[in-house]
Amino acid sequence: MSEHFDHSYAFFLGCIAPNRYPGCEAAAIRTSAKVGIELLPLKGASCCPAPGAFGAIDLRVWYAMAARNLCLAEEMNKDIALICNGCYKSIWEVNHKLKHDDELRDQVNEVLAEIDMEYKGSIDVWHLAELYYDEKICGVKKIADSVVRPLDGTKIAVHYGCHLMKPGKDRHFGDTEHPMWIDELVGALGAEPVQYRNKMQCCGAGGGVRGYDILHSLDITNEKLINMQEAQADAITEVCPFCQLQFDRGQIEIQENFGQTYNLPVLHYNELLGLAQGMSPSELALDLHAIDCKPYLEKII
Amino acid sequence: MAENQEPRIGVFICHCGTNIAGSLDVNAVMEYARSLPNVVVADEYQYMCSTPGQNKIIDAEKDYDLTGVVVAACSPRLHEPTFRTATAEGGLNKFRFEMANIRDQNSWVHMHDWEGATEKAKDQVRIAVAKARLLEDLQPKSVPVEHAAMVVGAGVGGMQAALDLANAGIKTYLVEKDPTIGGRMSQLDKTFPTLDCSQCILTPKMVDAGRHPNIILETYTEVENVEGYIGNFDITLRKKARGTRDGAEMVAAGLEGSGCNGCGDCASVCPVIKPNPFEMGMAPRKAIYIYHPQVMPLQYTIDFDACVKCGLCKDICGTEKNAIDLEMTDSLEKVKVGCVILATGYDLIPIEDKTEWGYRRYENVITGLEFERLICASGPTGGHLIRPSDGETPMKVGFVLCAGSRDNTGGVGKPYCSRFCCMYSLKHAHQIMEKIPGAVPYLFYMDIRSFGKMYEEFYYRIQNEGAKFIRGRVAAIEEDPITKNLYVQTEDTLLGRPVNVECNLVVLAAAIQPKPDAERIRQMFGVSKSQDGWYLEAHPKLNPCGTTTAGIFLAGVCQGPKDIPDTVAQAEGAASAASIPIHQGEVQLEPYFAQCVEDLCAGCGMCVPQCPYGALSLIQKDDRQVMTVTEAKCKGCGTCGGFCPGGAIRMQHFTSPQICAQIDSFLLNPLGGEE
Repeated sequence: MSEHFDHSYAFFLGCIAPNRYPGCEAAAIRTSAKVGIELLPLKGASCCPAPGAFGAIDLRVWYAMAARNLCLAEEMNKDIALICNGCYKSIWEVNHKLKHDDELRDQVNEVLAEIDMEYKGSIDVWHLAELYYDEKICGVKKIADSVVRPLDGTKIAVHYGCHLMKPGKDRHFGDTEHPMWIDELVGALGAEPVQYRNKMQCCGAGGGVRGYDILHSLDITNEKLINMQEAQADAITEVCPFCQLQFDRGQIEIQENFGQTYNLPVLHYNELLGLAQGMSPSELALDLHAIDCKPYLEKII
Repeated sequence: MAENQEPRIGVFICHCGTNIAGSLDVNAVMEYARSLPNVVVADEYQYMCSTPGQNKIIDAEKDYDLTGVVVAACSPRLHEPTFRTATAEGGLNKFRFEMANIRDQNSWVHMHDWEGATEKAKDQVRIAVAKARLLEDLQPKSVPVEHAAMVVGAGVGGMQAALDLANAGIKTYLVEKDPTIGGRMSQLDKTFPTLDCSQCILTPKMVDAGRHPNIILETYTEVENVEGYIGNFDITLRKKARGTRDGAEMVAAGLEGSGCNGCGDCASVCPVIKPNPFEMGMAPRKAIYIYHPQVMPLQYTIDFDACVKCGLCKDICGTEKNAIDLEMTDSLEKVKVGCVILATGYDLIPIEDKTEWGYRRYENVITGLEFERLICASGPTGGHLIRPSDGETPMKVGFVLCAGSRDNTGGVGKPYCSRFCCMYSLKHAHQIMEKIPGAVPYLFYMDIRSFGKMYEEFYYRIQNEGAKFIRGRVAAIEEDPITKNLYVQTEDTLLGRPVNVECNLVVLAAAIQPKPDAERIRQMFGVSKSQDGWYLEAHPKLNPCGTTTAGIFLAGVCQGPKDIPDTVAQAEGAASAASIPIHQGEVQLEPYFAQCVEDLCAGCGMCVPQCPYGALSLIQKDDRQVMTVTEAKCKGCGTCGGFCPGGAIRMQHFTSPQICAQIDSFLLNPLGGEE
């Protein structure tokens, strides 16, 4: 299939997608191609670095490493597109901070000079979901037009994720307390986005909570799962592989620790979009999910 | 004093305790002053504003035959009037006084630089002496004051101010943009802490205001234009087309019929239904309507935006009353008053913009004002508190205090305390426990500010009645989409742990802000505003009812959040302050106004548009045009004087020779001594 591209971006992979959910990565590249977005490999990229793990210990390291990734994209003269909220927090936010704080930028450039790099502030950073929603790039209608297998009659609980939406005063999504734009993107696939209690609550993983106190982390996830189940969701969707990991493998851990079972399939929005655009479950590596996606697939295929 | 006499200046340096003497060498400044030309006496004293201090001025004027007095002390804002009075008592014209501000502008800012502050004080004294040598006698002007007043806004504050003025024998225009007087207070169910029925205690005031022979009630009327100055304000009112006439208007218009008597037949046949803003949109009204049964005046109003002009109302009103005129248009009326009191009140902030609390997104999140209507016996539910989503009686009600108040996050939030929300939320808690047996109020608060007389006692009472208090700012409210119950999430900062309380109904004590048209009114009347947009008083402590524009006074929440007792107290203060110039019959103006030197004036008119107060105009004089100054309007700002290409405008008390002498003395003569 030959594709026509209106826009191209340096694709920042992150760590969890390629290592735990390769279907996310595959889906991102293929689904975006169908709406005119080309994702080019960002060669030599490092960890984003993870906002909770690095940012909580030494902000200077966090700024410098993220800036290095930004420099790689600047060398390509491309904006960055990414598919993980943690990466968004690090790379978007460091870009935002460096663009608005000359003193910080000078400090970071002093470090980058040791590897012959300089941050210029010449590019922007986007979440792929954000590009899908942006009328100038793609827009909800173009997404709907790309659908060949509508997800009709299925109910999806949308999870936005903290690092995408907060801190609200720095973000540009409008209402960060009650966002509906990913719900609109889900609706464009024919599925029904369901509203559930505590929709904007954290998945339980981010900020180092999962690594530090797994039971506490699972307790938060469990509450979200209860609310999603009460709203009669058939599946969960998110735009962050780390949230995906927490909801997906977390269900197994919750079963082990709390004895509660949900079996709610968890699909990254790109995987959901891939299904709607006609990709097969194996192309999307859905068999690598911890929670079996079959109950959901049976409803649509 | 003889003309062309050599000036004889007395200089007095104030210690102001250690405010001045603790930071600079007062004696050195005094010795320096003695060396200045024309200074015949220099002295110092601990507190120049004290009686002995002032006596030094009075005695020196006589002993040394002074022509000018200089006091180096605090600020002219504080004590210029004091020293002017002393100067006059000593026999000189009071404008032969000049002040050097060596406290606010010197010792306070150079507190740790003894040498530098002392040298600067010497400069300041030298400059003041240079001007004092050229000061002239000036005579204050007086202008007559119209024996009438206007109050803008007829809430409880405006009504109180109007009644006080009227009882003092002053004809008072009470202007209200709504069809009835009464304001916010008439929307409240009960008042704290006495639990009086709000409308019951307000109605007598409304009736008094409506029937008082000295009050001219101008309802459904807005201020269109303001001209003039203290004593002589010419105000244009826009009487909005009401669609009906009362008896007096029928007579005035020479029409047959008795006019509107408030029978309500018209509304019963009107086919158009609109939300009633008085009921916060929770009850319907017709296109021809009154807000509530106690309105003053009891006269129906047509909402011409909604009216379809079917004529049913006119038909049923009949020829005997003939009250309805569907073709009525706005009319303008000019009135002249001596003083004006602004009492324009407040609005709630658009609390839906604080999206974390879900107002207008969740049906069962309401505001305090909506609660007032829902609990009020004359409200849309007959006083039965119900959940908007399903009409059920709520048993667990959350009250979110400081909803947008004391909020520094920017956007719609307000940094100030809205001052009555704690108390009305306590009152609401009491009301639900009284009306709904077993109901539990949860008050989520940051502090409880129950600061007034009997307020703290009221707080204890509500605690004892069983209300639950949780200290912490509410982070978010989430709705259960199925039950429509609300989960109020906060941190209990006393226990140090997160809490999540399920409530059936949540009431937001929304912050308040000035009304949307407050800005337009402020500009028309030339009143300043504070950072938050509230009208600015002349002095927060010593002149809380006045403004910096003479003749304009403030009452109630337009000046800043306050409850009913404080509003009424300020209204009485404003009425008292406004009645002073009116009863005096004339006001004295400081003689700082500009003067046109007609021999030099070319009549170019370039100064006229420069004047921010509209005080200048061109007049015809002996075959040519010259500029003339309306002295009462001139504030002496000097804009025209600086602008005049011919140097024809003279600023009294700030003449060019006086200012040049000050500059010269600073630049050319820094060491003192003879020129």
